[in-house]
This record gives sequence, C-alpha cells and structure tokens, in this order.
Amino acid sequence: MAKADTPVVKRSLFSWILAGNLKLQLLLLLIIIIMVFARVLPLEMQKRIINEAINLRNIELLFVYCGVYLSAVIFFSALKYLTNILQTLITQRTTARMRKDLYHHILTLPLNFFRKTQPGMVVNALIAELTLPGNFVGMAVASPVTNVLTLLAFAVYLFWLNWLLALVSLSIYPIVIFLVPLLQKGVNRANKKRVDTSRTFASRIAEAISGIHEIQGNGAYHIENRKYDSIVDKLLRIRIVWSLFRFGVKTANGFFTSLGPFLVFMLGGWLTIKGQLELGALVAFLSAQERLFEPWKELIEFYQVYQDGRINYNRTMEYFDVEPDHEIVPKDREPLDLDGSVEIRDLSFDTDSGIRLLDGINMSLSPGEHLALVGFSGSGKSTLALCIGQLYKYTGGSVLIGDKEVSGLTRKDMVNNIGFVAQSPFIFDGTIQENILYSCRAITEGDGQEKEDDQPTLDDVIAILHQTGIFADVLRFGLNAILTHDQDKELVDVLVRVRKNFQRDYGEELADYVEFFDENQYLYYSSVAENLIFGTPNRDEFANANLSKNEYFLEFLKQADLNRPLLSLGSELAKQTVDILGNLPPDSVFFEQSPIAAEELDEYKMLVEHLKKKKLHEISDTDRQMLLELSLRFTPGVHKMVSLPQILETLILEGRALFHEKITGDDPEAITFYQMAEYIYSQTILNNIFFGKTKTANPQAQERINQSIIQLLIEEDLLEGIIEIGMHFQVGSKGDKLSGGQRQKLAIARAFLKAPKILIMDEATSALDNKSQARIQNLLETRWKKKSTVISVVHRLDTIKNYDKVAVMKAGKILEMGPYDELIARKGTLYELVGKK
Amino acid sequence: MNLSGKNDSNPASELEQNLNLLRQTYFFSGIPLEALKVFAYLSTREKFKQNEYLFRQGEDDGQAFYIIEGKAVLEREVDGETKSFRSFKDGDFMGGLNLLGEMRRLFSLKATADTTCLILDREKFAKVLEQFQDVMPRIFKALVMGINNWEERFLADRTDKCSDCMDQLGVSLL
Repeated sequence: MAKADTPVVKRSLFSWILAGNLKLQLLLLLIIIIMVFARVLPLEMQKRIINEAINLRNIELLFVYCGVYLSAVIFFSALKYLTNILQTLITQRTTARMRKDLYHHILTLPLNFFRKTQPGMVVNALIAELTLPGNFVGMAVASPVTNVLTLLAFAVYLFWLNWLLALVSLSIYPIVIFLVPLLQKGVNRANKKRVDTSRTFASRIAEAISGIHEIQGNGAYHIENRKYDSIVDKLLRIRIVWSLFRFGVKTANGFFTSLGPFLVFMLGGWLTIKGQLELGALVAFLSAQERLFEPWKELIEFYQVYQDGRINYNRTMEYFDVEPDHEIVPKDREPLDLDGSVEIRDLSFDTDSGIRLLDGINMSLSPGEHLALVGFSGSGKSTLALCIGQLYKYTGGSVLIGDKEVSGLTRKDMVNNIGFVAQSPFIFDGTIQENILYSCRAITEGDGQEKEDDQPTLDDVIAILHQTGIFADVLRFGLNAILTHDQDKELVDVLVRVRKNFQRDYGEELADYVEFFDENQYLYYSSVAENLIFGTPNRDEFANANLSKNEYFLEFLKQADLNRPLLSLGSELAKQTVDILGNLPPDSVFFEQSPIAAEELDEYKMLVEHLKKKKLHEISDTDRQMLLELSLRFTPGVHKMVSLPQILETLILEGRALFHEKITGDDPEAITFYQMAEYIYSQTILNNIFFGKTKTANPQAQERINQSIIQLLIEEDLLEGIIEIGMHFQVGSKGDKLSGGQRQKLAIARAFLKAPKILIMDEATSALDNKSQARIQNLLETRWKKKSTVISVVHRLDTIKNYDKVAVMKAGKILEMGPYDELIARKGTLYELVGKK
Repeated sequence: MNLSGKNDSNPASELEQNLNLLRQTYFFSGIPLEALKVFAYLSTREKFKQNEYLFRQGEDDGQAFYIIEGKAVLEREVDGETKSFRSFKDGDFMGGLNLLGEMRRLFSLKATADTTCLILDREKFAKVLEQFQDVMPRIFKALVMGINNWEERFLADRTDKCSDCMDQLGVSLL
C-alpha cells in the first residue's frame, strides 16, 4: 500500500504507478519483453518465405516457416490479450483507489470548505475527472516499454537491412518529437480550462436541481436556462479548441510519419534502378518501415493520455488540497473519555473575510449543567455552539472540555463524548432504524468493531421513541405497511383475530372515522375498481392498473351496463381535473386529491381537447381506455371535483354482486374477496385491523384512532411487532417522506440514544408543535439534568425557565448570563426580550 | 353554480359547494374564479364533535376555518382559568391572518355542537399564491377592509363598560 501518511491530495500521479500494482506491473513488463520478440519474428519469417522457400521452391520449408509465422501470430495475440487484461486491472484498481481515497479525504474537510463547494463539483471530480489519470496509470509501464522496445527492434532490423535507407527514413522522427510538444501545449491549455469549466458546469446543474422549487415557484426558467446555456456554450467552445489541438497532434504526427515511405521510394527506387539494391530488399524494407508507424502512433497517444491525465489529476487534487481542521482519530493513544465540564476563555471566531462573529466569550459550565443560549438571529448563538462542538475552528481564545483544549482534540474524542442536534438535521436515505442508530453505529464502527451487542437493544430504542415523541409516528408507519404473502405468517393470523375484537370493542366509537368493508355498502373512500372487485386480485391482469385493458373485465362491464356511465364519469373527471390543475406545476400539494397523476396531466389535457371536438362514442380506443382508467380510480371521498350520481352507485353495487358470481364460476382463484376471516394483502395493516379504511386526515381524529389502536395493540401484545415493522419504514432521500417535525424528532432521538456527556442542540425543536416541544424540554429536565451537560440554542423564550443558566447574546458577545430568575430580576436584556414576546 | 357551465342532473360536487361557500367570505370573495377554484379544490372538510377543539391557544396551526354547520365558542386561558368569549356559527369565516404568516393562537376554539368546517392551511395557500400573481393584492385589499370594518363596528357598538380598553384602540392603525 501507499504510505498512509501522505494525504491523497499530496500524492503525485506517478506515485500510483507502482504503489499497490508492483506485482502486476512486473508481470506486465515480462510479458511485454516476450511480446516484442514475438512481433519481430513474423517479419523475419516473411523475408525467409520469399527469399528461401518461394525462391528455392521448397514446399517443406514453406510449411515450416508458415507454421512458425502462424504460431508467432497466435502467441502474440494471446499475449496481447493478457496485457490488456492486466492493464485494465491496473487501471480500474487504481481509479477505484483514487476515488475511495479522495472521497475519504473529502469527508474530513472543514464545513467551511463545503460552503464554497457545490455537491455537483465533488460528484464530477470523483466520477469524471479521475478516469483519465486511472487510464494513464494502467498504460504507464506497458505502453512506453512496449512501443519503445518495438520501435528499437524495428529500427535495428531496418539498419540491418540497409543502413542508408534506415537513416533517411528515421530522420523524420526528430521533427515530430520537436513539433508534438508545441501543439500539446495548446491541448493542455484548453484542457485546464475544460476541467475548470466542467467543474462550474457540474455545480451549476446541482445548484439548479436543488433550487428547483424556487425556479418553478418564480417561473424563472428563462433565467436558469440562460445561465446554464451560456456555460454549455463556453464548454462547447473549449472542447472544440481542445479537440482541434488534439487532432492537430494526431494529424501532424500522421503526416510526417507517412512521409517515410515517400523518402524510401525516392531513395530506394533510385538505388534499385541504379542496381545498388535488390527489389526483394526494398519490399522487405518498406514492409518493416510501415510497421514503425503503429508503435509510434501508440507512443504519441500515450503521451496525450499522460498530459491530459496529469492535468485532470493535478487540477482535481489541487482543488481538494485542504487540511482537515482537526485530526480524525488519535494516533498514539486511546480516544479520551472526557467529563462534561465546559470552560470558555476569551473565545473569538473570525470568518475568512475577517468578520468577527464571536468576540471575547467567557463562561463555564460544570458537568450536568444546562445552558440556554438566546438572542436575536445573527447574534452568534449557533456559531458559539458549533465552536464548542468543534465543527467550527475558533480563531482565538480557548474552549476546554473536561480540561482539554478542544482545538487539540481529535474528532473521535469529540464524537465519543458529544452529541449534536443540528438546526436542520440531515436524515439519510434508509430506514428509520438505520437513522436512529446512526450516531451509535458511528462510534462503534469508528472503534473498528462491528459487534452487534454494543448496539442499543430494541427496548432502548423503543424507550427513546417514546421519550422523543416519535413513537406514534413510527407506529403509524408500521400500521401503514403492506405485508407480503411470505411475510410474518403468524402476525397475519393474529391480525385477523384482532380484527373481531377491534370491531367489538372500538367499532362504534370509531365509526365516524372509519368506513368498514361491507358487502352491501358503497365504499366512498375506495375507488370504483375496488368497489367492483371488492377483494384482492391474485393475478396481475386483475390489478387495479391493468383492469382497463383486461378483456374479461371489459366484457363484464358491458354485461353490468356500466360501460357508458363509467366513460361519462371519466370524461367529467378529466374535464374538471384539467380545468383546475391544467396550468399548475407538478407539486404533490396540488395532485394529492387528483385522480390524474402529475406526469399524466399532459396526456389528459390532449384527451380533453379531443372531447371538445368529438362525442363520447366517436373517440379513439386509446382515449376510451384512458377515460375508463380514470373512472375506475374515482374515489368520491378523495376526488371532490365530481359527485357520484346515485344511479351509478346503485349500478356499481349490483355490478359487485354480478362480478362475484361471474368470477367465482369462471376463475375462482383470481380474487380473494374481502371477508372477516381473511387477511387482505393489498391493504395496510391498519386497514386490515379496521377491516375498512380511514376517512379523515384530521389530526384529532388520527389521535383518537391512534389511542384506540395502541390500546388494542397493547391488549393483544402486538405493539412491539408493529413498531419493528414501522422502524423499517424507508424515509426516502434526505428523509423527504417525513415531515419537518418528524425529521427533528428523529435527529433528537438519534442523539439521545447515544447518551453523550455533552449534548449540543442548535434550535433542535424549532419544527415541533407545542406539545412535542414541551415533551422534549421535560425530558431534558428530568432525565438529563446533572447527568449530561446541555448547551441549547433556543429560539423560543417560553422554554428556558428551567435551565440552570441562560446566556443572552448580541453581536457576538454575551451580554448577561445567569439563572433565569436572576436575569429577569435584573431587568436587563433578557427581561426586555421576554417582555417583547 | 356549475363549473363546466352546462346543466346536468348530477348533484353539485363538493368542489362546487366549497366554491360557493368561499365566495361568500370577505377574504376570498374578490379573488378571480380560476384561483378560487384551486382554493376550493384544496380545502378539506372536517367534522368536529361537540367539545372538540378546532384549534388551541398557543399553537400555530396555520389554518383558516369556514363553519359550514354547527357552533363554536372562543376561549382563552389566563392564569390557569378558562374564560369563554364570543361564539361562531355556520357561515362564519376565521383565520385569514393565519394563512398569511406564522402566529400562535391567542384563543382556543371549541365546538359547542357537532360542527362541520371547511379548512384551508397555510402551506396550500402559499402554493396557490405562487401560481397566481393577481391574488395577493386582492387578499390584502380584503384584509385591510376587514380590519377597518371590524374597528368601525367596534367603535359603533362600544359601551361604557369597555372604557379601559379604549386606550388600546387602533387596530386599524397597525
């Protein structure tokens, strides 16, 4: 391996050639040397076949030489393939290692660095810019050695054939050697610009995509398009210049080397005519000289890859050549176990541009004390919290945690002792469970162990879920899960049993909020398709999305006199929905209650245009199918733009009975009908317990339902099982399937589970409702006081009364600090702040 | 009112009904039909049982309510004691300010009978504003008139009992 001490950004491109590839490169070298001989051999055979075998009319000799020729060619091809394999191996392994090392390095860079760096730029560097350097490393030994050796071998052979001709035809190469680097300078200049522009290009795209809300919200397509287009145009110009220079190198090289045969013809022809050279020798010479061209071309190409690779590599590494603010792990000692005291003396923090954000901060906290930082935004509260947490490197004064200077501690020391809840916490794609265990896993994996027993138990996790108030959310995720046939056979049986108890004990109470599946009632919170089928399809062709194409089902609709009325319903739905949503952007807020999905809107807009010109019976089959599809989705309780005519409701109910009868006769396995004794695999766990669907999203109703369900689950000893299912809920990229409050609760749970000595909370409850906020506050006071030191940046002053100390900040200074009551009695800034509220 | 402009035997959809209700409020009445339809579409109906709260003091629920049916009373908790104030009934609209910006409720609203409301929240409201440039000026106009009318009525109705609060007058001067 490479010396672990040199950071990846300081390594030269050449250092990758041998590091980690030594054996492969040596093997490659050996094969190449053998190959060069295998390459010259056919030439000699060629000469002998003509001069000896053919001239002497010796068939036997012809066979021998041809045999040798053939074997040499086969041998050569096999070796060539082998070198390709080795080269690919070296290239890919090196690129992979460069990518890993650089990524590992980038993650340790100071937060400051990322304020100036767009994610897209990092992506581009890791994916695109390291490819060429990797290629270079793969070629670095093979290409020059092969081609130089081949060139030499041919050159010697040429001299051996005729020294004068050889001298003349080789005289071209010095010119090329002089000319190519000149052109290459142009290539390099263009390539440097290309790398830089690609970087801005990638940043530009990433910025636009992450700001897409703002762009669509402002309709700023033109502005963004203009910015983007101008970079594309710039890149276009640079790439053209780059390519022109590159081709210039190739063309110049090609031109001069093809002058070779010309010189040989001139001089060789003259010599032959004069009788000083045999014709056979001239042919052999020409043939050998032609073969010079191939290795020479490859050498030039290698030279270009080297130049481009070098520039890509250096440009990329230079950009990331930033030192991490702090060491990651201690080298010659175990990570420290700090106590929870915090001592700050004359702390200051200046930005790169020299603005002083913190100035002369002094304070001290003993282990287990709780401090609230308050003040207007911009007063430096968050900056102070981040400096204490080592996420910012303070520029003056000192911060001592457990009597150790924070700037001298490694990240590992900090992470082991400090928990941090950020202002807008980041939730990673994955399950709730993975996110909750994130901080704990980071510690144990950082210790180099992956022992499961070091992880918090399910009981610990559930306790934290309760404490932070995210329990109900996780339970809901669990209840909203859809089980598959092969999953939890036992649970399924229990759920079916529970269903009866639920209806007995809670049915009446929740009747207002739940629509129970009843064979004789229309279900207003289910689609028309669900109302007709009234069961779970066991075959794909009966799945909701496929019904409008299912011949059997279409035939049934005709029989049940439903075809026309459904088409007419679909047409009304299409018209009304397009009328309302036609010009709105594809935002989920607008499309939640729409039967037409955002991505289908354009198709349905066209359809509505057709409907304006044609009668319903005149439209095309595709349009007809789209309308039917739409009407089958119609759910009166959700899609408010159309009402369900009474007559159609009756027809559908009759249709349900007819369908049941028909399909039971024709294909009894196709559908599992909703029955009290059967689990419904197409529905959520909650709907299975209900044997129905919730009618409302109203939080109070949800709360009531939750309470009844929790009660029931406790009685039936199912709570833990459902929570476990809920913990496997996928939160989506950046946690976008969670609300702001849920994300914050999850981040708090993550920090609490780690139970750090010092907990830093940066407006950690800003997205929570009153109740949840009070719950967290209460938890801090009862469970954490005297155990962990808490530093909390607070935006709402009604939560700070019970902190041991309150520090009021303004313009980077602490104006006053002390217990709440004392500060209020002093009638200073806090008194004013609270009064204003 | 029929959205598609044609007359058929179908009963009015919930959307049409919502639209008609919103047009009767001071807050939404001046808004162009195209935007109003979207508000009507995004509004949801909720039922509250007697003694349930529509919103609570101290919360920032960000919702506006139109009472379709039922009754509700305003409450305020001061020093642990709950006092009741004015009542609302079907046809009343409240919470327009809530749609415009963050604010914590100064009162709670409790249903005194089973109550059905039409509810719109701030997030949806803001999304619609983003799409229709001409809505905001009209909302402001309606709001200014609303505040002014309120104080005018207050001045007209005032009795001598309220002499203490006369010193604080001037909501319309904000």
